[in-house]
Amino acid sequence: MANERVIPWQPTVIAGPKQALLVTPETAELMIKKAKRPLFILGPLVKEDPLRTYATKIAEKWNLPVVTTADAYKPFYEKGLNPTAYGVVEIVNLLKDPEWQGVDGKGQHDLVIFLGCIYYIGSQGLSSLKHYAPHLKTLTICKFFHSNADASFPNLKDEEWFKYLEKMGEVG
Amino acid sequence: MIVVAPKPKSEPKKFKDEFWKTKDIKISIRDIVEKDGEREVSEEETPIGPTPKPHVTDLRSWDMKLLSRYEPFYAPFCDMCCLCTFGKCDLLNKKGACGINSEAQQARIVLLACNIGTAAHAGHARHLVHHLIDELGEDYPLDLGLNIDIEAPITRTIIGKKPENLADLAETLNYVEEQLSHLLSACHTGQEGSSLDFESKALHSGVMDDLAREVGDLAQIVTLNMPKGDGDAPLVEMGVGTIDSTKPVVLCIGHNVLPGSNVMDYLDETGQEEDFEVCGICCAAIDISRYNDRAKVVGPLSRQLKFIRSGVADVIIVDEQCVRTDVLEEAQNKNTAVIATTDKMCLGLPDMTDEDPDVIVSKLLNKEIEGALILDPEKVGEVSVKVAKILSPEREKLKLLPELDEVQKMAAECTECGWCTRVCPNSKPMMEAVIAARDGDFSGFEKLYLNDVCYSCGRCEQECERELPLMSMLAKVGEKLAKTEKFNIRAGRGPVQDVEIRRVGAPLVLGDIPGVIAIVGCSNYPDGGKEVAEMAKEFLERNYIVVATGCGAMSIGEYLDEEGKTLYEQYTGDFDARGLVNIGSCVSNAHISGACIKIANIFAKKPLEGNFEEIADYILNRVGACGIAWGAYSQKAAAIATGVNRWGIPVVVGPHGSKYRRLYLGRTDKKENWKIKDLRTGKIMDGEPAPEHLIYAAENMEEAIVMTAKLCIRPTDTGKGRQIKLNHYIDLYKRYYGRLPPDIHLFVRNEKDIPITYKKDVKEILEEVGWEPREIPQEPSLMGMDGD
Repeated sequence: MANERVIPWQPTVIAGPKQALLVTPETAELMIKKAKRPLFILGPLVKEDPLRTYATKIAEKWNLPVVTTADAYKPFYEKGLNPTAYGVVEIVNLLKDPEWQGVDGKGQHDLVIFLGCIYYIGSQGLSSLKHYAPHLKTLTICKFFHSNADASFPNLKDEEWFKYLEKMGEVG
Repeated sequence: MIVVAPKPKSEPKKFKDEFWKTKDIKISIRDIVEKDGEREVSEEETPIGPTPKPHVTDLRSWDMKLLSRYEPFYAPFCDMCCLCTFGKCDLLNKKGACGINSEAQQARIVLLACNIGTAAHAGHARHLVHHLIDELGEDYPLDLGLNIDIEAPITRTIIGKKPENLADLAETLNYVEEQLSHLLSACHTGQEGSSLDFESKALHSGVMDDLAREVGDLAQIVTLNMPKGDGDAPLVEMGVGTIDSTKPVVLCIGHNVLPGSNVMDYLDETGQEEDFEVCGICCAAIDISRYNDRAKVVGPLSRQLKFIRSGVADVIIVDEQCVRTDVLEEAQNKNTAVIATTDKMCLGLPDMTDEDPDVIVSKLLNKEIEGALILDPEKVGEVSVKVAKILSPEREKLKLLPELDEVQKMAAECTECGWCTRVCPNSKPMMEAVIAARDGDFSGFEKLYLNDVCYSCGRCEQECERELPLMSMLAKVGEKLAKTEKFNIRAGRGPVQDVEIRRVGAPLVLGDIPGVIAIVGCSNYPDGGKEVAEMAKEFLERNYIVVATGCGAMSIGEYLDEEGKTLYEQYTGDFDARGLVNIGSCVSNAHISGACIKIANIFAKKPLEGNFEEIADYILNRVGACGIAWGAYSQKAAAIATGVNRWGIPVVVGPHGSKYRRLYLGRTDKKENWKIKDLRTGKIMDGEPAPEHLIYAAENMEEAIVMTAKLCIRPTDTGKGRQIKLNHYIDLYKRYYGRLPPDIHLFVRNEKDIPITYKKDVKEILEEVGWEPREIPQEPSLMGMDGD
């Protein structure tokens, strides 16, 4: 099927007519560049290498404040990041409040990049932000297409996904 | 002649108008008891609180207090509403044709789910009570023995009356059904428009569910002589390996005990009890084994399709709730006879209730009928046994599952399209398992089989373009593993005894026992059932009281330590620190909120009757209880969780729980949300986020364990109690996050709260954040705050 890459990874998470915009590493980078207050959310599915390294490099390259969900804090702290730990539902709850001052206390974020949250709970969180957080955009760079995000990578095979992430973390 | 009841000469007194609701007025009604023709006034005066038999809006002010502290967090599962012909309406940043917005629609669906759950329990309870009154009469007493005086804490609090007999239980159900009808009505298009009011109704529905469950379980405990709060209830065999498939096997699936208990009775009456295997899946298993400990438990819901496919059962009896709706088709493929037994699930089968049992047996065996609907449980007992006896030797010749070499051949047909994995609710590697099996390596299937990592929903099969029977392939590979699955579970004991409450009331409220952890719910686990046992073990080792029901209780029993012992063998069944208490089935969940209510009553002397808000306020602020519904999937689970939330008990659900669309989350950054009133001094003061959330979805087990420990913290903990609770919280946080919890300062009121082991580290954090000691309230409460 030609469009298999943009059918949500779990196809029944399709929620309605609005679908995520398909992005490549280049367009994802443009979104990050354009953002004034981006936030990088890292979930437990990327806490092991090589994904941990790819994620860390992206955070470092773009100087992104990082939130970890579930038990992803420890591996990323050990990798040299200084993340803030929240439950995925807790951080989404904070992000949907336009008055929240962000992880650094300097103001609400305008772009949230998700990587490595469990697909279906991630999808629910993205749905929440789609409905109730018009003040920010969501981008997912998981290996799965997330239709509830504003922008998402397509469904990818591991090798392809690793290349995408590597590219986003390359300096220079 | 039409007989009309005489009209009363004067208007009956209205007990529900505003005058009677004034909080300072206590009405005292003496129970009039008629015994042996003599009328006597009961000794005890029963003070009635402000809200006996509350109507939908009567507890709204309490709900709004909860909802302002724990604001609903909505995660739409669907952007659209498809409930009326105006639609479909897309509610993404838009209102629907009826004017509803997205928040209200989510809350409406939650209310609908709670109502469905409540109706399932109320229907179940009504069926039981109706049948038992027919059999035993409405005066049949509710006698729970010498150790339980507060036999129905939920009924007492909500209805305002001590139920004495089956007729009183029926009366409680009248009230539940009336409320349910109003609540369901509110879901109709063009009724409620506020998400918060939908939530208040969902909370009311949850408490109606609580009542219905209490009625259902009390009815079956007293009439069927199930254990009445016995800590040493017998151990019951559990697991596929305990079932002797050379005997005729009758399998019961569902939740209603009556068909299964009648099978046991018929076997006893005919002296065949040793010649048959009677087993169950889901709560029917738990309740039949509470009735007769010879009945065996196959396991939780996650076993259903695998076990049916294994063909072990000669007869399948289905009753109600959580039964696979394609059970007839699946059973027919294995030449297993199916008997449906309740109005909830007739499966298109002919109604044979009034037929002679031998005629039904003959028609079933001769395949004149596809299966039978038999609404008389006694007849179900006789027919199922007779059919199984004849069918069993015939079925022995049947080839029930493919051979392993056939599994390998089937696997070779896989096109590697990957859709089996994509449609798996947990994205489990089914395709990899098939690819490996192609080369004769069945380890992938084995990993999926063990601990129900694959809970056999069968969605993968539906998607397979080669129509591979993936569940049968899984069942075949698991066949040899299944033989070693020999576990046990302590029979569901029912309510917690009053004497146990007296013993643990003080240490629980003061914090010396760090909490009551209720492991409940279904088996929609993110990564198999073993995690549930691991969580139970973690909290048992830490001195918590662990109570369990339903599929959760079964999953706990499926874990063996190095010596081959289950947790039920290692820990006592007492409601005490390090006790592992199997309360019973889904309906028995009522005894968990019941135990918390009894702490308020027995330990703190709070009157129950009509006194909901004071009791819930007490539980929220003082009783360190927290539920874990790791695999909650059903509407019943939604109703149960919402019900316990209204009593002030927080719940952690697994990641699939996020699909319920709504959580209640607290915000620690909003200090004003945690204000409380100290009832001792009348002062409004800063409180603490304890408990921080009311219903929370965790992404994985590690997060759930840490959050559960945190959600047991209560404002009334003594310094020693708080130290104990924080010690567990810090210890677990350090284990899974590698550092001290960054929010620890929120839970340290003064230096006496700091656990000695972590004194230095905690003090460093306190210094960093500029912490200052806080005043500790004597009687923290949400009552008497704004809005009252």
